[in-house]
Amino acid sequence: MSYYVTEIDTKGNIAVDDTLLVKDVLSTAGSHILEGFAPLFSAEVVERVQKAGYTVSGKANVGEFGLDLVGEFSNKAATKDGSLVGAAAQLVAEGSVKAALGVDLNGAPRRAAALSKVNFIKPTYGTVSRYGVIPCACSGEQVGVYAANIADLKQVLSVISGHDDKDGTSLQHDSYDYDTDLEVKGTKVCIIKELLSSADDSVKASVSAYAEKLRKCGVVVEEVSFDMVNAAQTAWQILMAAETCNNLSRYDGVKFGYRTPNYNNIDELYVNTRTEGLNFLTKATIIYGSDVLSKGRYNDCYDKSLRVRRLVVEQIKKLLGDFDAILTPVCSKAEYKPYDIAEAFTKVFDESRYTAIANLTGIPALVSGGVQLMGSYFDESLILSLAKCVERVSE
Amino acid sequence: MTLDKLKGLEELNQLSFSEDEKSSVIKIFENMNENEKILGEYNTDNTDVMVHVMPMTNVLREDVRKQPFSRDDLLKGAPEHTEDSWQVPRLVK
Repeated sequence: MSYYVTEIDTKGNIAVDDTLLVKDVLSTAGSHILEGFAPLFSAEVVERVQKAGYTVSGKANVGEFGLDLVGEFSNKAATKDGSLVGAAAQLVAEGSVKAALGVDLNGAPRRAAALSKVNFIKPTYGTVSRYGVIPCACSGEQVGVYAANIADLKQVLSVISGHDDKDGTSLQHDSYDYDTDLEVKGTKVCIIKELLSSADDSVKASVSAYAEKLRKCGVVVEEVSFDMVNAAQTAWQILMAAETCNNLSRYDGVKFGYRTPNYNNIDELYVNTRTEGLNFLTKATIIYGSDVLSKGRYNDCYDKSLRVRRLVVEQIKKLLGDFDAILTPVCSKAEYKPYDIAEAFTKVFDESRYTAIANLTGIPALVSGGVQLMGSYFDESLILSLAKCVERVSE
Repeated sequence: MTLDKLKGLEELNQLSFSEDEKSSVIKIFENMNENEKILGEYNTDNTDVMVHVMPMTNVLREDVRKQPFSRDDLLKGAPEHTEDSWQVPRLVK
């Protein structure tokens, strides 16, 4: 099975997901509506890895605009032994590439990494340029890295991070000095009870096993309560849908991408292009996003979510003042089976319970060993060092 | 969510759903309306909105005239175009 939408170089050592632009290479974000779209420039992260000597192997399949669980509703959905897998994660897991770049807007790459037993890091918001990302939910999406081990993850993250003038949300630091060998003995990690209790037994067992390995590294691990899990999940769903609604309004069949053959006037061109070009999950997200921005709903939904975001940020900072990192599941299950797209919105919402905090607040999140470690802003080094220590004790 | 309201949102967003899809969308709204109740449990009267999680400053630069892409390059990806323009159905009769 090919996990590529477009293969570029069979000898390439880094894959990029199909929401990242590569000059003159078809880039669809997993959507029919971008059929035939070949961008005129590459994403900043693609240029940076190429300048650093990496060769892009191809465009890995993603779910339409990265909105689904792991890429199941896209041009080329992938399964392995009957279970869903994410393409970029699987390319890394099978050793086809050293690393891959992916865009995390609602946790899809983190879930995919957990299912394929590889690492993925979504760094602190603003540390990696989003220039050349096909945008969907700008205030929480971030480019991250998949790799089979922490050393490779750090190497590629170091290459892609740092200020970019072309991205208005890019922070000012020219580069970030990541360290994977910090002393972790004596550090404190908390497990959020509310996230552990809602996961199934196999996931709970993975978290417990990971916690045990952290203890072998001398880390203190404790369970704590964080009562804003549901609020963070809902607030991010509302903000993500609203931003998706705005960002995807550009797809109208006029300047690029798919155009319906079924139209007699401009209104039919717009409506039929968007109806045929977008899948049900994307359309439902747009409609929900439009609704939460509408008069009568704006204050209670969109505006309220922006205020709740601040409360969640304050509470997470407080929690990360008491602990050095947070350990949680990243999925409720150890595997997902294919399902009907009519269920997708609710299924993705349910699973975003584990990933929404990092998108909503912009803190770094690392998936390793099938679980998630979240850290303070700009403290990627600590979560990388924790994961590296667990790698060592697992050997 | 009602079918009438959904019709309005479909028009606003220039897309449409099949009859089966409409039932699914209404269920999604019912579900989300329940989930939204959690937000009401938090008093945000004295909490400012947070649009960006990182402090944002408006960075200005000098205007520089340049032609980043040629007209031909821009038209290359268009579904339909004339020699020098994107082509759409006639808007004014």
